[in-house]
Amino acid sequence: MELRPVIDVKNLHFSYKKHQVLAGVDLKLYKGEIISLLGPNGCGKSTLIRLILKLLRGNGEILINNKDIEKYSHKEIASRIAYIPQYNNTPFNYSVMEMVLMGRVSKLDYFASPSAHDFEIAKNALKKVGVEHLKEKAFGQLSGGQKQMVLLARAIAQEVDTFIMDEPVAGLDYGNQIRLLELIHELSKQGYTFLKTTHYPDHALLISSRVIVMNDGKIIANGTPDKVITKEMIQDVYSIKADIIVHDSHKRCIPIFQKNILNKGF
Amino acid sequence: MSKQTKYLLYGTTLLIVVAFLSLLWGQYHIDVATFIEYLQYKFVGNANMDASTFSLIDNIILEIRLPRVLLAILIGASLATSGAVFQAMFVNPLVSPGILGVLAGASFGAACGMLISNHWIVVQTLAFIFGFIAVGFAITIGSMVTNSRSTVMLVLGGVISGSLFTSLLSVIKYVADPYSTLPAIVYWLMGSLSMAQLHEVLLAAIPISFSLFGMVFMSKYFDLLSLGDEEAKALGVNVTLVRIIAILLATLASSLSVVMAGIIGWVGLIIPHIVRMAVGPAHRLLIPLSAIIGAAFLLLADAISRLALSVEIPIGILTSLIGIPIFIIVLKNARAAWN
Repeated sequence: MELRPVIDVKNLHFSYKKHQVLAGVDLKLYKGEIISLLGPNGCGKSTLIRLILKLLRGNGEILINNKDIEKYSHKEIASRIAYIPQYNNTPFNYSVMEMVLMGRVSKLDYFASPSAHDFEIAKNALKKVGVEHLKEKAFGQLSGGQKQMVLLARAIAQEVDTFIMDEPVAGLDYGNQIRLLELIHELSKQGYTFLKTTHYPDHALLISSRVIVMNDGKIIANGTPDKVITKEMIQDVYSIKADIIVHDSHKRCIPIFQKNILNKGF
Repeated sequence: MSKQTKYLLYGTTLLIVVAFLSLLWGQYHIDVATFIEYLQYKFVGNANMDASTFSLIDNIILEIRLPRVLLAILIGASLATSGAVFQAMFVNPLVSPGILGVLAGASFGAACGMLISNHWIVVQTLAFIFGFIAVGFAITIGSMVTNSRSTVMLVLGGVISGSLFTSLLSVIKYVADPYSTLPAIVYWLMGSLSMAQLHEVLLAAIPISFSLFGMVFMSKYFDLLSLGDEEAKALGVNVTLVRIIAILLATLASSLSVVMAGIIGWVGLIIPHIVRMAVGPAHRLLIPLSAIIGAAFLLLADAISRLALSVEIPIGILTSLIGIPIFIIVLKNARAAWN
């Protein structure tokens, strides 16, 4: 039996005011994968995830569980895919618990309020990402790393197994970046599927099962991290030099300054 | 008992106490003992009270105070709830039915209605339609300059929309009969609960309760909408539908309040802020509690308007006088309340 993709994007085009953002993108996301979507600013990766979430409409075909996205309501998409946006503040400062409960809305009837069962699920989701102690805190007062964890807990409370993340480590301090990557890896082992955009080839090497590279609205590379993340690709896409080294039998990507300014003193 | 049930219970108790006192307070003061005797006479029939006192009290309570108390509850709840809903819909803590021009639009519509027909359904329908046009106009202006949702631009759009309909209302006043229609419009606009008739109040209670309960039932979506449209959609909300229905319901409730009692400002702005400061921003609690506290606030304001001076102060003037200092305090604490 052939494995069916959770998300299947076929020949997707999208233009914003005559400016072509996506020029024929194909992407398949299979259960259990962690796909890292790499590419420079403006390459169309954020647009692509917005199209997959039906936040934008493009030309082409997007299938979710083998059914056309046009046949899904937002509620139906939300009960299959969770979106973890980059955190930002709202004028109304909800508690962490309220924030996580919002992930339950797609599961509730139209006029129903969250029940004790929903509270329990929200609490367990917070526990799963290790921030249960924050549940009474106000979301706005949390650090960037904590906010990202809470949004991840909200996605878990949505009770879906496919997560789409938009630059999850953006704005996080060094330690929180690594802790978040570890958590994503841990959740992936528990059966969650991830599609995430990132600006860090090294992060893609660390935790992806597959890397897709976009440039100018097209996919230019798609494969295992080892094969895709090469000096040549970094040069092509970002116009900088990088070295791929092996550390602890794992490939890592480190950037190199164009001019040899290191170790020259100041 | 959950936090939510607890607060709603406290709020309801407060409202019942204030409503009960409002039935007793007035130019003719009824004390609690007399009220209990009155109830005994009315329902049990033993005569500790003479028939003429009974009929006087019966008349005061049923004909004068009860309609007024019910009307104050309906209108206070309408204004505060629709204020909270507008603030959620536009993710803007500075808007209210008054600031968005809804009250001005509805008053213009209602005045048009009074001019062309005396039938209540014409007046109410026109008030609602123009209330909706006014908020639509405010949104259009608010989004003209910037595409993004700008807090200040929407307030400015509302100010413009409000003054447009106030000007149009002046035209109606100018052409209205100076001996009958004009004074009626002027006194009505100052805001008063004194004209309340029981059957009219009960009639208005139907659409008002409909919109109040509608807003309460939708409240869990308001949390998500305040995160921004994209996030709300990704969490499974039909953003456009929720926003349209919520704005229609909030406009209906606040427009009908104008028809029933004129322009009563500030309630829709300050009550949601006070409630939010007390219990947090989650709308499942904020919306119903705003309704309860708004009702209690307007009952108290009405009691003051009846009792403070020997003549009755129009309640619209009073809510402004109370609302302005409260809002200044709210603005000072704005960061704490919003962030």
